[in-house]
Amino acid sequence: MPATQAILVTGATGLLGRAVLQRLLASDARLRAIVLVRDATRWSGAGLHERVTAVEGDLRSVGLGLTGEVHALIRQQVRAIVHFAADTRFSNPLAQAQAVNTAGTEHLLELAYECTSSVRFAHVSTAFVAGRRTGTIAEELDAPSAGWVNAYEQSKYEAEQLVRRHAADWVIFRPATVVCDDCHGAVSQLNAVHRALRLYRAGLVAMIPGTDRSTIDVVTTDFVAEAIATLALRADAAGCVAHLCAGDGALPLGDLLDMTFAYWARDSEWRRRGIARPPLVDLNTYALFERSIEEVGDPSIKRLTRSLSHFVPQLALPKLFETSTARALLGFGAPPVREFWLRMVEQLFAEGDTALGATRAA
Amino acid sequence: MSAPGITGVAYALPARRRSLTELAKLGQLESDSSLLAQFGFDGVYVAEEETPYALALAAATAVLTEHKVPANDVDLLLYCGTSALAFSPRGSAADVARRLATTGRFQYPATRLQYDLGLERASTIALDQLACTSLFAALRLARATIAAGEARRVLCVSAEFFPECAGREAIFNVTADAACAVLVERAAPQNRILSSAVSTKGYYWDADALRNEIVASYFPTAKHVVDETLQRAGWSPHDVTWVIPHNVSVRSWEILLGLVGIPRERLWDHNVARIGHTLAGDNFINLRDAIDDGSVRPGDRLLLFSYGYGAHWTALAVEA
Repeated sequence: MPATQAILVTGATGLLGRAVLQRLLASDARLRAIVLVRDATRWSGAGLHERVTAVEGDLRSVGLGLTGEVHALIRQQVRAIVHFAADTRFSNPLAQAQAVNTAGTEHLLELAYECTSSVRFAHVSTAFVAGRRTGTIAEELDAPSAGWVNAYEQSKYEAEQLVRRHAADWVIFRPATVVCDDCHGAVSQLNAVHRALRLYRAGLVAMIPGTDRSTIDVVTTDFVAEAIATLALRADAAGCVAHLCAGDGALPLGDLLDMTFAYWARDSEWRRRGIARPPLVDLNTYALFERSIEEVGDPSIKRLTRSLSHFVPQLALPKLFETSTARALLGFGAPPVREFWLRMVEQLFAEGDTALGATRAA
Repeated sequence: MSAPGITGVAYALPARRRSLTELAKLGQLESDSSLLAQFGFDGVYVAEEETPYALALAAATAVLTEHKVPANDVDLLLYCGTSALAFSPRGSAADVARRLATTGRFQYPATRLQYDLGLERASTIALDQLACTSLFAALRLARATIAAGEARRVLCVSAEFFPECAGREAIFNVTADAACAVLVERAAPQNRILSSAVSTKGYYWDADALRNEIVASYFPTAKHVVDETLQRAGWSPHDVTWVIPHNVSVRSWEILLGLVGIPRERLWDHNVARIGHTLAGDNFINLRDAIDDGSVRPGDRLLLFSYGYGAHWTALAVEA
């Protein structure tokens, strides 16, 4: 890439966006980056700022809310857009999720279209655009939809369709859920999986939707960042959908619950509370349980149950994410979940239990 | 094959039945009565004149009479119920306080029942603090005593009231007053007890403080206990002909049946609406009625499960 050319990165303030940006800049000393942020005063480039320019904008706005000067700069210099930014809240209403995830992608695609040179559009999606589909999920865009568990999944699915329709040169990355930084298990950013684990440890999970075939496909930041940094700008990735997932290294849900339970049960104080390992149930039974909690639960148990309801039904829709395209392009795959899961659990609770389990003391 | 089993069940209910609408008007419900109706409740029996002891005596007399059991042929009497309440009309709290403050506290219903029934050979043991699982515990104890060769026939009696000052709702269940008596014998031709399981989790002793944790633990622990009971009986969930429940919310039963994999239509739930939830022995009252109405036939495989609020989960596998 010529020295005057740059990449535009959205979501660079996030854990994954920042990690990929660092890798891209480290891999090419000539590369410059423009990062799109909501508030430029909060951007800190962590030593990268010499080649990073922060510009203010808002994905939700037509034209991204860019000034004319910034718009011109991007049009002239940008040769690739790496799009991480997303509203990842599973509980969002559809319109709110679409405003950032779908319309935001559309606005970026319009900007890419206006650029003077052909632009690579590297779109970071999610493995869960597969929604309610079950079985083997291929690295492709043409599978018919079976509906979605939450608005986040749907809005990201719609964004993928826009990318395919409007980008001339694209690559789509579909990471599974990121649960820790690397195989040592450190957790820098909490998400729904961690919140669910905390509820499990606190004895507040009555049941989990799932089947004998359900698996947990989770990955590390390290793997996903390395994969995206490797492929985002590579010519041979054009037109590819890459599952950045554990794939056949995912853990059966039952095994994961058992090994986590056994790990905690080594602590006699936890064990003597008699917390039961939540059983797996079909979606109808789980829905009946949720309905009952809505009708009779106190506010705190309602809140806890709702916090799970936007993603746990996905567990009863067993999937195996195919990873052959990603592996072939990368030459490496994701670490098996078994390799880092318990280390992640250990780190997550290294500072003791959260207040969730301490209602007696309260 | 002979095994200890249930040879007779009888129960006694107070004369007065009150509908959900009446209870709501009296301020004895915490939840909207329409929600409780959705959960399967319609009304409950409320003791307005009777004492727990009077109902216990009526139930025990009935079971001995119906099965022509000579009074001197009972080896052990197991009594379940709060002894301080036993002689108080309507379960009067004021009367309980008076008894506890005097030597009236030594007036025990188990002893009096042994005398009133003329069970001259029977020793007595009282069970308490197990909430809705007391009668299950009595049956387990009876079975173990028989297996040890220390008794051939055991009379288990349970009588539980809610004091008049208490409401009629406990954790979205509408509660009734009742007494139930069960005969357990060494070689029962029917209703043989094939297996049992119990789980007590003392952590939940302070049930009010841990209500959310209890809500979460109820279902997984219930599933564990049911699974264990079925496994010990050598049954799969599909082998169960009838689930004879404790009369808590039908909704909660539907969730539990989904968890354990037993079809909904195998739940014998007729008495949830008719009687409501008694602490005294829903499952055995229901067993009696399910036999009487012809639902349960010889050879049927019955699963009885109950939960004692807070810390106790228990189940029995019975071959009718």
